[in-house]
Amino acid sequence: MTQANGLQFSGHQYLRHRLVLSILSGKALKIDKIRPDDKNPGLRDYEVSLLRLVEKVMNGTVIEISLTGTAILVKPGIIAGGPITHDCPLSRSIGYFLEPLIMLAPFSKKPFNLTLRGITTDDKDLSADLLRTVTLPHLEVFGISDGLELRIKKRGSPPLGGGEVQFLCPVVKQVKTLNFVEPGKIKRIRGIAHAVRVSPQFSNRMIEASRSVLNRYIPDIYLYSDVYKGEDSGKSPGYALTLLAESTTSAIHCSEVVSQPGVAPEDIAIQASRALLREIQRGGCVDERHQTLVLLMMVLGSEDVGRVRMAEPTERTIQFLRDVKIAFATSFKITPVDASSEGPAQLLYSCYGTGYVNTNRSLA
Amino acid sequence: MSEDRPHKAHHTAQSGRKVDKKGKGKEKQTGFNEKAFAPKSGRRAERQGRRTAEKDQTRLHVPLVDRTPEEDPPPVVIAIVGPPGVGKTTLIKSLVRRYTKQTLNDIRGPVTVVSGKKRRLTFIECNNDLNSMLDLGKVADLVLLMIDGSFGFEMETFEFLNVLQSHGFPKVIGVLTHLDLIKKAATLRATKKALKKRFWTEIYQGAKLFYLSGVLNGRYPDTEILNLSRFISVMKFRPLVFRNQHPYLLADRFEDLTAREEIRLSKGKCDRTVTVYGYLRGTNLRMGMKVHIPGVGDVDMASVSALSDPCPLPNAESEKRRKLSEKKKLLIHAPMSDVGGVIYDKDAVWVNVPGSFTRGSTDVPQGEGEQMVMDLQDVDETLEDVVVRSQIRLLGSSSKSITVGPSSSGIDRQDSDQEDYDDSEDEGGEDEDDEMESGSELDDAEWMNADDDTELSNTGRSTHRVVQRSTAKLSGARAAGGGGVAFADSDSEMDEDHDNAAGRRVRFNDEDEDANISSDPDDEDGDVKWKANLAERAAEAFELSSKRTKRRDWTKLIYSSNTTPADIVRGSTTADDQPDEDDDLFTVKKATDDAEALDRTKDLVPVDELKQWEDEEVLDSIRHLFITGGDDVGDEAEYEDAEGGGEYEDLEASEGEDGENTPRAQDPKAALAAKKEALKRKFDEQYDDPESAKQDFYDEKKDEIARQQELNRAEFANVDAETRALVEGHRPGLYVRIELADVPCEMVEHFDPRRPLIVGGLLPAEERFGFVQVRIKRHRWYTRTLKTNDPLIFSLGWRRFQTVPIYSLDDHSIRMRMLKYTPEHMHCYATFYGPVALPNTGFCAFNSLGTETAAFRISATGVVLDIDRSAKIVKKLKLTGVPYKIFKNTAFIKDMFTSALEVAKFEGANIRTVSGIRGQVKKALPKPDGAFRATFEDKVLMSDLIFLRAWYSIQPRKFYNPVTSLLLSTNTDWSGMRLTGQVRREEGLSAPSNVNSTYKPVDRPGRRFNPLKVPRKLQASLPYASKPKLMKPQHRATYLQKRAVVLEPEEKKALAVMQQIRAIRKDQVVRRREKQQERKEVRKKKVEKDEERKSEKKREERKEHMRVAGIKSKREAEKEEGGSRKRRKT
Repeated sequence: MTQANGLQFSGHQYLRHRLVLSILSGKALKIDKIRPDDKNPGLRDYEVSLLRLVEKVMNGTVIEISLTGTAILVKPGIIAGGPITHDCPLSRSIGYFLEPLIMLAPFSKKPFNLTLRGITTDDKDLSADLLRTVTLPHLEVFGISDGLELRIKKRGSPPLGGGEVQFLCPVVKQVKTLNFVEPGKIKRIRGIAHAVRVSPQFSNRMIEASRSVLNRYIPDIYLYSDVYKGEDSGKSPGYALTLLAESTTSAIHCSEVVSQPGVAPEDIAIQASRALLREIQRGGCVDERHQTLVLLMMVLGSEDVGRVRMAEPTERTIQFLRDVKIAFATSFKITPVDASSEGPAQLLYSCYGTGYVNTNRSLA
Repeated sequence: MSEDRPHKAHHTAQSGRKVDKKGKGKEKQTGFNEKAFAPKSGRRAERQGRRTAEKDQTRLHVPLVDRTPEEDPPPVVIAIVGPPGVGKTTLIKSLVRRYTKQTLNDIRGPVTVVSGKKRRLTFIECNNDLNSMLDLGKVADLVLLMIDGSFGFEMETFEFLNVLQSHGFPKVIGVLTHLDLIKKAATLRATKKALKKRFWTEIYQGAKLFYLSGVLNGRYPDTEILNLSRFISVMKFRPLVFRNQHPYLLADRFEDLTAREEIRLSKGKCDRTVTVYGYLRGTNLRMGMKVHIPGVGDVDMASVSALSDPCPLPNAESEKRRKLSEKKKLLIHAPMSDVGGVIYDKDAVWVNVPGSFTRGSTDVPQGEGEQMVMDLQDVDETLEDVVVRSQIRLLGSSSKSITVGPSSSGIDRQDSDQEDYDDSEDEGGEDEDDEMESGSELDDAEWMNADDDTELSNTGRSTHRVVQRSTAKLSGARAAGGGGVAFADSDSEMDEDHDNAAGRRVRFNDEDEDANISSDPDDEDGDVKWKANLAERAAEAFELSSKRTKRRDWTKLIYSSNTTPADIVRGSTTADDQPDEDDDLFTVKKATDDAEALDRTKDLVPVDELKQWEDEEVLDSIRHLFITGGDDVGDEAEYEDAEGGGEYEDLEASEGEDGENTPRAQDPKAALAAKKEALKRKFDEQYDDPESAKQDFYDEKKDEIARQQELNRAEFANVDAETRALVEGHRPGLYVRIELADVPCEMVEHFDPRRPLIVGGLLPAEERFGFVQVRIKRHRWYTRTLKTNDPLIFSLGWRRFQTVPIYSLDDHSIRMRMLKYTPEHMHCYATFYGPVALPNTGFCAFNSLGTETAAFRISATGVVLDIDRSAKIVKKLKLTGVPYKIFKNTAFIKDMFTSALEVAKFEGANIRTVSGIRGQVKKALPKPDGAFRATFEDKVLMSDLIFLRAWYSIQPRKFYNPVTSLLLSTNTDWSGMRLTGQVRREEGLSAPSNVNSTYKPVDRPGRRFNPLKVPRKLQASLPYASKPKLMKPQHRATYLQKRAVVLEPEEKKALAVMQQIRAIRKDQVVRRREKQQERKEVRKKKVEKDEERKSEKKREERKEHMRVAGIKSKREAEKEEGGSRKRRKT
């Protein structure tokens, strides 16, 4: 799928990681057949917004969208970073926009200071809480830690949003090589229950219900009730429970369930707890939703062998691995872990890093 | 009388000092005297301690990762550099002779020899032109810098050293030759000393400098070469940062693969396909990487393939002895040096007859005979080896083959991992039928058992355990459906298995149901039973899925099939061959439901999957994943049971299985041992001093690097070469063949093996272009300053290119201010458009690479700081205007702008008069175009000039001109963009003169200041202080002027005396001066005489010197036979 020097894909799926790969590898990205047979063909508003955001973050990027919106061409420039503010459309949450930018942020010229406004929590993408408590620790194992922060200034639930987060990320020269094969045992469970523009009792009820499931395993459980009042609580009512389990080797597994109309908070909490147990059972050192992030950072590592133990790849991960091969000419060696443990199979992903060095970083 | 009588001997003293001394001497013990080295005082002890600590610090260097593999490293590149006629070729010949006992007649291109058990060397001679020096400076690991001792250093030597410095200094050994031409011993000693001193200041104090005396039989003396080779063999190399980031290759062979017909049709002008061969160095080379060939340009690699090593290191088989055998010593690899058609091989001399086919040209159709001969040539092992390596399996499924001889195939099999077992299973499945038909000695039942056993032991013991636990029927069902156990039932079922993995799962569930039904009647309470079974079922389901993964080769599924990700996750792997095969005219359009699929991170968790967590047993089943869950002792007990329960008899597998089984049987034991070990370590750590175990930062880092390298080695140690190349690319140390497509034909036409051909890999970032900001300093030996927007040739990264830099300086950290010229003795910034290089890469710059100048050619050096897509350089722009109407502090200004729009742009801008009155632009005026109102802090004058200081941003010109020296017949032919002045000079044009720029005498009208007139009335009313006090000049003489002065007699006398004294003094001074003048005359004459004598002597000396120089140059000329470039003495 490579041209002379460029990446060519078709379909609207996986736009985000393809953008990221294109920007990091510096190869032009051409995507066609974006919803050609749809009643409303072409890019959606949030996708256009993402492209605009990418343009803001970068310097010298050329983005061309065809007349019908069914094809785009991105010629990436360099990642500039610095203070940026962006209003996200209400069709997707902030997570949709932040996930690709988290992959880019460590390789920018100036430290990121990104303010995003919109919906902070929804059921499609990682919520601000998950990004803060799970995604950022995943970056820390790659040596991106000093000054890495996500501040949730305001919460905003769908449909009207009104939330605001600030993402600060330092600049690194090169990410560390990962060697994470020991999943360890779960030593603590943490959680955040938040409820905005509804009765504050909701979060307490969620905590109670969740504890009823999780208390059997481990005593070290703290579920926080996160309260935002007034202006900071956004424009729409909503609540959610975010759970994460940390192992002795600091592998993190997480789950999150967001309020649905007509579902009691207890049910939400129990769903979240069970989803967490399912995630724990799947095992590995990396959470299912962060597979792509971890694999990308491994590819970008120094020219050493990086290894990580994870559960089976998800659909997104599989496509991601294929796209990585096109963009970076690197493939992973995937071998099953010797099955001394029962439970679902775990795989050992090992790859030889490409020795990606942050060329944008300035010495002057 | 006294002569013949012998002297009486002295008595030995019986007492006194001497006796005391001697007695002590006898008591003195031999051996180490600790007192002798003990410090006398505490202070000295402290000082000594400090010194050892300091010395310890000097051995520390920043820990850097060395990407060169320890086993099978690429040959060390040794560049032999020096001016023409200094003896480079002689040195290579001598060294090659030393290593291989062969004399090369004509050396072209790199020559690779084996120098020791772990080291190979590649010698390459460097031409005397800058392009070759630049390229070799980037790849050489060791430089033998040759200096003509009888002549001294030449400019090129210094240039080369500076090139090395900016591209990461490799090791340098100086070699002084032509010392035999200096006859006088004293002169020789002095010359050596002087040259050494200069050499040391250039490299470092104590740098190694070799002296080679004369030439014997066309070689340097053997002992001296032996010494040099010993130095080379123990040389250690520190990893250089740039080379540890890039793969590169010094080509030692070059072939043109383009079809002859195509060349003929295009009259040789078509783009060529070429291959280059060489040892890979630096980092791993991946397919899909772009490469840069300095002197040619960026090229895409069409293919890379690893070849067998033409000059291999001795290995265990070839070398049983400690020393390198004589036979191995003969190995030399220099494919381009085969002038006269002679190539030396291990034990033969090949005579190459032009016109016959060669192995390189694969495009030329070859006859059967040629093909056969070539195939024969390909065989690199004897028949015996093949026989030894071949293996016979008694049965298709047996995992251990019957081996012949002491070959290590058995070990291989043990090394191979799970995948291999999977493969062998598949093979076994196919072979099964044949085996059955042929009728083996074993009966079927036993056969099945054997199969089962091998299978189970291959795929892990979880399966084993389940089989033991469930009912017989269930086990049968599992055996049929459980994916991994594909042997027990008929083939058809197995095929089904392969075809439809999704179906497999469904069917399995059905059978599971069956099992349940069958077990139902046994229990009274079906419901309870159902619940009880739930956990088991769940566990089975997991095992199934785990089994499925084990059977699936994820790497293959993801990378070499076109199954959609969704299908892979769901588990159906059959889609690979579907889409391409049906060539129907019409295809039914598949309902693409993914049009609405969102790009979402959080996948929906299926509710039914969460349902199972309602069950207690399922909840308990993951208890072991928590720290509170304890160890899985119970599991181990079960394992034990399972092992005991299996009373299989397998005959031929047993041998192989033993190796597999024993570790498992010992597993608990091993685990226990490991646990004990860990406990012991923990105790030790706590009990011993915790500080002692801690390493310092340096050792920690080094350990970390070593650990990572160990891991790198281990991870791909037993992966086959092809997969390895796919995952990690080609390793340094391999001999590779790189095919390059679409190379300019000039490269082939003008190919000269004497010019180094380098293939340098580019990082993804380096393929792109942008504005590069560098810190630059004009070289202090370069005689001219550098001017902004003058073209400069950079040697940066792998590339050499000409571009147009703009110099700038940081102005108070506010702006980057353009500089017209580089500052003296100071760094400044330069920004140019060109290919990106990583920050911190060093470079050197030239104004010209040609030989037309005798002066130092490196004009600047520096380092890359920043990469961007836009440049932020500004230059000062002053807009001037004049007031045409002045109010109090307000004035109307014109002539600064031309339109109201421009004024609007500058509203609020600061302006100033030349006299320093500050003001602000207010608003545009309607009447004269571009006029505006401005306010000032004071009243301005009509004569004031008003100016506005602005900054105008400039971008460097997007000019990039690669130095394509390899596309020309000689390296020095290349000429880039010329300066306007150069063009004019060459065209014989004079600079155009602008009339407005010519100098004319300035005649400024003198300013007339009117006298200040204060009306009398006003004067009268003014206070005294403010009254004008100017008075008219006096017309008449005043009294003081008019009065006559009459002196008193005493006064008169005093005055007369004073006058006389002054007169005497004056006379004295005059006479003294005259005397001095005379003395000066005399001295001047003397000096003149001396001068004359001296100049005479000097003339004589010069004459003598010229005579000697003339003789020498004549000799040189004879030796070089008219060498091209004339020498430049520093």
